[in-house]
Amino acid sequence: MSEELRVSPIETRGVAGKKRYAMVVDTRRCIGCMACQVACKAEYDTPLGVNRTWVPYKVVGTYPTVKKQFLPRLCNHCDDPPCVRNCPVDATYKVEDGGFVLQRYERCIGCRSCMAACPYNARFMLPAHRTYSSITRVVDKCTFCFHRVTQNLVPACVQTCIGRSRVFGDLNDPTSEVSYLVAKNATQVLRPEEGTKPHVFYIGADRNATEFGRDAYRQPEVMEPERSAFNRHFKI
Amino acid sequence: MGDYVWFHDVSWHASYAIYFFVIGILAGLSFLSYGSWITPALRPLREKAAYLSLALLAIGGLLLIADLSQPLRFLNTLNPMYLSFTSPLAWGALNIVAFGVASVLYILELRKGQDSARGKLLALVTALLALGLPIYTGYDLTVHQSRPVWNTPVMPVLFVALAIASGSAVGSLLSGGNAEAQKVLREYMLWSTAGVGVILVSILGTTNYGGSAQELTFMILTTGTMGMIFVGVGILAGTAAPVAMLFLAHLKQQTTGLMIAALLILLGSAALRYALLMGPQQLQTLY
Ligand code: SF4
Ligand code: SF4
Repeated sequence: MSEELRVSPIETRGVAGKKRYAMVVDTRRCIGCMACQVACKAEYDTPLGVNRTWVPYKVVGTYPTVKKQFLPRLCNHCDDPPCVRNCPVDATYKVEDGGFVLQRYERCIGCRSCMAACPYNARFMLPAHRTYSSITRVVDKCTFCFHRVTQNLVPACVQTCIGRSRVFGDLNDPTSEVSYLVAKNATQVLRPEEGTKPHVFYIGADRNATEFGRDAYRQPEVMEPERSAFNRHFKI
Repeated sequence: MGDYVWFHDVSWHASYAIYFFVIGILAGLSFLSYGSWITPALRPLREKAAYLSLALLAIGGLLLIADLSQPLRFLNTLNPMYLSFTSPLAWGALNIVAFGVASVLYILELRKGQDSARGKLLALVTALLALGLPIYTGYDLTVHQSRPVWNTPVMPVLFVALAIASGSAVGSLLSGGNAEAQKVLREYMLWSTAGVGVILVSILGTTNYGGSAQELTFMILTTGTMGMIFVGVGILAGTAAPVAMLFLAHLKQQTTGLMIAALLILLGSAALRYALLMGPQQLQTLY
């Protein structure tokens, strides 16, 4: 989706006086240490089995010409987020200044409509019991570390990224590092054909990791052991 | 080999398919109850269809509420301060409540035991609100632009056709040996189920010839256990077979054949709803 194209009134690109936070992930610099995943878990006490950010990888090529291709993933804080328009009670909403897509936990009814609407699996249901938090049985997701960013800190995953693969900033500010990276490099967003206009831009992402591969074809019964293991530990 | 992917559970589980099934039957029964005011042959079904549709509404409503992870917050969907009309679920919540109110008023009118003009009007209002139920459940799937099969404009039409087919099937089972009613219901079942068949063929065609996500979803829907449920039970046993039987019954006027066709339609429409709900969600499980 072209950076210039703005069609929906909810979009924040180029709106004067408004911030438009984005993350650039330079996959050439990602070493797959998963420190970001750990930092996020520590920041939010995200339960076992679910993640706000995760780093899947694919092994590409045939020995001896092989490479591990990492693709750090998180909510894309889409400029035109289908999760927001599908929530019947406005429990998920977009912050006008900044473009954060956030949750109102006390309002969420747990219908999972937003989960079905998100093309990126960025949302998950919180289990019924948590150790350090009373927020349970509602949908949760990455917040772009709203509480840190509004205190002039970068998100926890960006702070901890040892390869400096993750860069965070305001795309509406032409002098920001993310603006520079998006302007100077060939970038890619995930599933651009869905019209969500993601705010996570990848440099050097491999199509083996961004597209559905043949191995995505798995019958439900093949997935069943995985699903039952998940459900055993994850009572909602 | 050696890939690391993260398992993501599907968003909506089978209980939602049962809800679709129940809501389809109750909508179809409401159409029949209204139809009884226009088509005298359906007159014996009027009260039965109205009562059963209200009972199914109670079951469907409870299923829907129980499926929420915060069941008591279903009241949020009726709070005008919260409602967001960009979501079909919001329209659906209002539609269900309006249908429930209209149904109760209609039944109260029916209990008076006369064929009043008000009764006919309430039957019409109830049937129109019932029409909204399969339409909204269809939109519920259609609006998810990233899901193959769901994101097709025919989904609400398919759900309306399934509602007419399954409602008429239940009506046929309720009518027993009433030849007049069976004659009309046979027509309803035949043409609505044939319509379901045509829509399914067009969905399968566009899915198979679509992009990579569509192609993979087609494979998921047509092979293994899901293929057995979708193609075997849903399309062959639950759509093609009853259409053929109804066509023959049309010639031979066999009540037993009609009953078997009605049961097959119900089985098929349950299978189709399950497969159409669960199949297109599988692809994203490991994305
Ligand atoms: S990535 Fe998913 S959850 Fe995040 S804003 Fe986009 S649609 Fe919503
Ligand atoms: S699960 Fe919660 S946030 Fe998601 S659509 Fe339903 S009410 Fe909205």
